[in-house]
Amino acid sequence: MTARLAALAAALLLPPSAIACEPPLRGEGVQKIEGQAHVVAWRAPTPLPLASFFSLEFAACARDGSRVEAPRIDATMPEHGHGMNYRPTIEALGNGRFRASGLLLHMPGRWQLSFTVGDETLRAALTVD
Amino acid sequence: MLLVRGALLLAALLAVRVVVAGTLLDFSAQERRQIASFGPWPPQAQRDPSNRLSGNAAAVALGTRLFFDARLSPSGQIACVSCHQPNHGWADARQRARGLADLPRNTPALANLQLQRWFGWGGGADSLWMASLRPLLDPREFASSAAAIAGMYQRDPDLACLYRRAFGQGPAEGTDHETVLVNTAKALAAFQETLATGRAPFDEFRDAIARGDDAAAARYPRAAQQGLRLFIGRGNCIACHNGANFSNGEFSDVGVPYFIAPGKVDAGRHDDLQRLRASPYNLLGEHSDDAGRSSATATRHAVLEPRHWGEFRVPSLRNVAVSEPYMHNGSVPTLRDVVLHYSTLDESRIHASSQPLLRALRLSPEETDALVAFLETLTDAHGADRPRPPLPAACDPAGAAQER
Repeated sequence: MTARLAALAAALLLPPSAIACEPPLRGEGVQKIEGQAHVVAWRAPTPLPLASFFSLEFAACARDGSRVEAPRIDATMPEHGHGMNYRPTIEALGNGRFRASGLLLHMPGRWQLSFTVGDETLRAALTVD
Repeated sequence: MLLVRGALLLAALLAVRVVVAGTLLDFSAQERRQIASFGPWPPQAQRDPSNRLSGNAAAVALGTRLFFDARLSPSGQIACVSCHQPNHGWADARQRARGLADLPRNTPALANLQLQRWFGWGGGADSLWMASLRPLLDPREFASSAAAIAGMYQRDPDLACLYRRAFGQGPAEGTDHETVLVNTAKALAAFQETLATGRAPFDEFRDAIARGDDAAAARYPRAAQQGLRLFIGRGNCIACHNGANFSNGEFSDVGVPYFIAPGKVDAGRHDDLQRLRASPYNLLGEHSDDAGRSSATATRHAVLEPRHWGEFRVPSLRNVAVSEPYMHNGSVPTLRDVVLHYSTLDESRIHASSQPLLRALRLSPEETDALVAFLETLTDAHGADRPRPPLPAACDPAGAAQER
């Protein structure tokens, strides 16, 4: 009992980013982004299609154990100051997993993929040839 | 003596070979990947799921007849072919289109349309059949109506027979005028899907690069190779003109003025997307034959943002050398002028929040020549003089009835 209380006390003292959570998406090609309050795992088609629609599977978890709801996804080309011409839709697959559809990267080059979960936005770099 | 002559002959032959074969620039692995990405050509034909008549021979026959038929306009003055002429690459070589009245935009050439996601310079249509329907109702173009189109079939049994053969039901057989109008547009689309450009000299080069046959690739003119290197390199034309159709299918502001009259502007994509959304003929509407609406992905997800103001569709560059004049308003007369436009681009003209990837290229005269030389190699053997399809023979009513 004393040990449990000690562990709880230690967890409360830790910064949020130190508390692990594991998004329920594994396997080949899965990439992970560690945020302060959330972790997102995602898998995009390989190679990423240029100027064609694609879907992307991702999963998210909150470090405080709360349920992830209504995440958003977007992609921009920071160097050119524009985003996509399409707004993806997100379908909840259950257990913290989601499918984003309607993504289209219309230019080759470096893109930035962003997942917004709660108040936090987690970013990853993408390159389209 | 014989040996000397033989050596001279061999030297002469080698010299000729060098001239014939040319040389290949030292394209990097990345450049080779980019070059390969412009093919293969032609692409595999795909049917349009929103048009049940896509790829249907009977619909193509009806569409061919209709395309050349000025009775589609109640005045009898305008046919599709009035602006989309086979001897002008299925365009009209005019700066701006003219139907029953003058229009603010250049007539786009009709080719490889199955590869397009959006139609019209502003993407005001999301299917080829919607793009075919819109001008029929526009008072500046055909000024027709669903009732007038239906009436045309009533007055022409042969045309009605072709319709019956395509759709399995006559235009006056329990079908409302609206359906006849939409079906007419779908037959026109079925015909236009058959208009394609063939292989161009660039495709031979691209295929040689893709299979690693540098000897064959070296036959491609050196100036065109230099132009291609600019196209995929410093010019960054590939940013928008990518893929086998040399277009990303999207929209861009390239610094062409939007004013169409004093105080009047053509807002391009910004306005046309709103028109598309309001139209009952878009792919989310009841007239699409795609029950699952899988073909409506672009329509469903398209966003309207201020940056789309003044953007126009990125055109394909297939046969670009014979599709003058250029740009959405036909304001640039020659291909060389297009290259000069990008070379001397007025960056202040580009919408503030639009793509700052466009910069004046400041090309030398040699570089300008090279880019033009490259673009010219995207033209197939027919050039501007496209094969005119044969009009369908008279329709046999008994045959059409049997097909029902």
